Amino acid sequence: MLDATVLERIGIAIGSTVSALLIGLVIVAISGYNPVTFASQLLVGSFGSERAVARTLRYSVLFVLAGVAVAIAFRAGVFNIGVQGQFIVGGFATVVSIIMLAPFLPNGTGGGVALMLIGTVAAIVAGGLYAALPGVLKAYGGANEIITTIMLNFIAIGFVGWLVAGRFGDPQATATRTEHLPDNVGFPSVVFDDPNLSIVGILLTLAVVALIATVMTRTSFGYDMVTSGTQEAAATYSGVDAKRMIVSTMTLSGMVSGLAGAIFAIMIQGYFTDPSGIGNYGFDAIAVSLLAANNPIGVVPAGLLFGGLESAGSHIQISSDVPVQLIDGIVGLVVLFVAVPELFRMIARRTGLGGENE
Amino acid sequence: MSVVDYANHRRVRLGAVVLAATLIALAVVGTQTDVALERLFTLGFLTRSLEMATPITLAAVGGLYAEKSGVFNIGLEGFMIFGAFTAAASMYAIGGTASTQVHVWSAIGISVLITAVMTTVFAVLVIRYKADQIVAGLAVWFIGLGFAPFTASIIWGSQSSPGLSSVGTLPFGQSPLVVLTVVIVVAAWYVLYRTRYGYWVQAAGENPEALDTAGVNVNRVRYATVIFSGMMAGLGGAVLLAHEGNFVGTGDTMVEGRGWIAIVAYLFGNYNPIGAAAAALLFGGLDMLNVQFQTVGIEVSARLVNLLPYVAVIVVLSAWGKTRMPSSVGEPYESED
Repeated sequence: MLDATVLERIGIAIGSTVSALLIGLVIVAISGYNPVTFASQLLVGSFGSERAVARTLRYSVLFVLAGVAVAIAFRAGVFNIGVQGQFIVGGFATVVSIIMLAPFLPNGTGGGVALMLIGTVAAIVAGGLYAALPGVLKAYGGANEIITTIMLNFIAIGFVGWLVAGRFGDPQATATRTEHLPDNVGFPSVVFDDPNLSIVGILLTLAVVALIATVMTRTSFGYDMVTSGTQEAAATYSGVDAKRMIVSTMTLSGMVSGLAGAIFAIMIQGYFTDPSGIGNYGFDAIAVSLLAANNPIGVVPAGLLFGGLESAGSHIQISSDVPVQLIDGIVGLVVLFVAVPELFRMIARRTGLGGENE
Repeated sequence: MSVVDYANHRRVRLGAVVLAATLIALAVVGTQTDVALERLFTLGFLTRSLEMATPITLAAVGGLYAEKSGVFNIGLEGFMIFGAFTAAASMYAIGGTASTQVHVWSAIGISVLITAVMTTVFAVLVIRYKADQIVAGLAVWFIGLGFAPFTASIIWGSQSSPGLSSVGTLPFGQSPLVVLTVVIVVAAWYVLYRTRYGYWVQAAGENPEALDTAGVNVNRVRYATVIFSGMMAGLGGAVLLAHEGNFVGTGDTMVEGRGWIAIVAYLFGNYNPIGAAAAALLFGGLDMLNVQFQTVGIEVSARLVNLLPYVAVIVVLSAWGKTRMPSSVGEPYESED
């Protein structure tokens, strides 16, 4: 997929999404629902009202950050399937560090900002370390990172779940969750009225996108990283330590995943719940990154698309009787189509829409 | 050193690790509590461990054939979900909630056929259209996670099915599906290491050019193994359903990561069907240990015990590191002519 031109990639991304949505509509029709109603609800649920837009942006922030995390690794030729686990470990580290340190800091805004900074740093460190582990195992032990990161996802879900249910659980709560974060911890609501969306989260996300894009294209570290992903031999000859590169790539990827977890904890939840039920942000992020051809800037529109789908999903769940799992299925179809660029090249050749540049 | 020798050496080393781990676990349990070990390791425990291991074993046998021939089928989990769901749906369609044994077995058969058709599509995308194997495999998982509960909601009005029938038992309380699995494992081992076709499969993954030169169609071998891997995963899912008796579509569905564990099981067993079955039995046993702990009243968090297989995977993968993958895995093969 890396040898496709930019135009080709955009074409493949749009083709994949449109095909998946069309198949989704056909399935809706076969199941006996009205596809036109469904399509309009998809639009209304994602961008139809101020509330819907805020909800879409809230999910998009998570998809973009997690997508960037996946993209970093993919570009360097490493598969980080473990973003979900790093996201969970990061978000949990945020909540725990804030709750444990809150009694020692003043109650006002200053204390709140300090706590959020500490919590965010804790998430970045925790996410980075949790991703460094499979990196080290791959670089120095030869353990396949696809397998180890998948296993580490299950371990994060189980272990954090055990901690949330036991040692860090809120005894007063009926559901499995930690205590609420203190009142002075939370992003301010400017521009958006939504309590679970803050301009701070959006700006932070865009800043990370810009930072990673700059690192990848403008620094020697980024150059070495991308070269070792596409031209491993060339990178080695030019003096890049391939093993160290694997570890640092995974760590950087995990740091971004951890940050996504911190924003999830501070901006959206305000506590931490049983991680088996928080949503598959880290897995869907793989689709986001692929759709964007692993380009950190391309992740923004791809993340918006997935945010919109997720947001439409929660709207459809309430306002329609079409089972909401359909959205997950459509996401799967998008991924499947993205995996097969050859299919679109062939269609393009047959229909004369292009593809001569091969 | 031939492939078989290599596998045998590996099995010895693996066996040592498993033995050591078991001894340590026994020592810990033995000293920490005063529960007699014979109450922990009963015949029932073995029976349940075998039942738990069968779905994993079946998917693992399929997966290792595909990977031996050069295609990494990372979609095993997804195909298992399809297998479990289609078995439930077809059992409901032909027998309702009070199915007989004939219905149960027919449902298993139908489910394997449907999964075979689905895998054929996957195989065409991966082999003919050179889809990225990892990404396409992940897509299969996502599609299974989405569409199985979706269709379940349409059929039953809920993501899970009502109680259907489960498979009966043989005179000694053993599931016939366990026996079937043993037969499949032995046959898979024999075909892979003792027949000409088995050597074709291995050559397709190790040295496709040589196989092509010898006049065998590499992609034809790969189609066969990939479709076989999907059928086995589907059978694994169907077996899981036939043991449990109803489809659960909430969360990660009733398959709950067993397809991933299956991949790990065949890596553990170094692509040897018997080794993979042994690894699957180890995971199944660890899983059942949980229930066993609760039965005899040992206070251990189920959530933590459930993590043991995953931790074991990481420990062994890093201790052994380089599981030698067939050299052409992941590369589409294009014949010169």
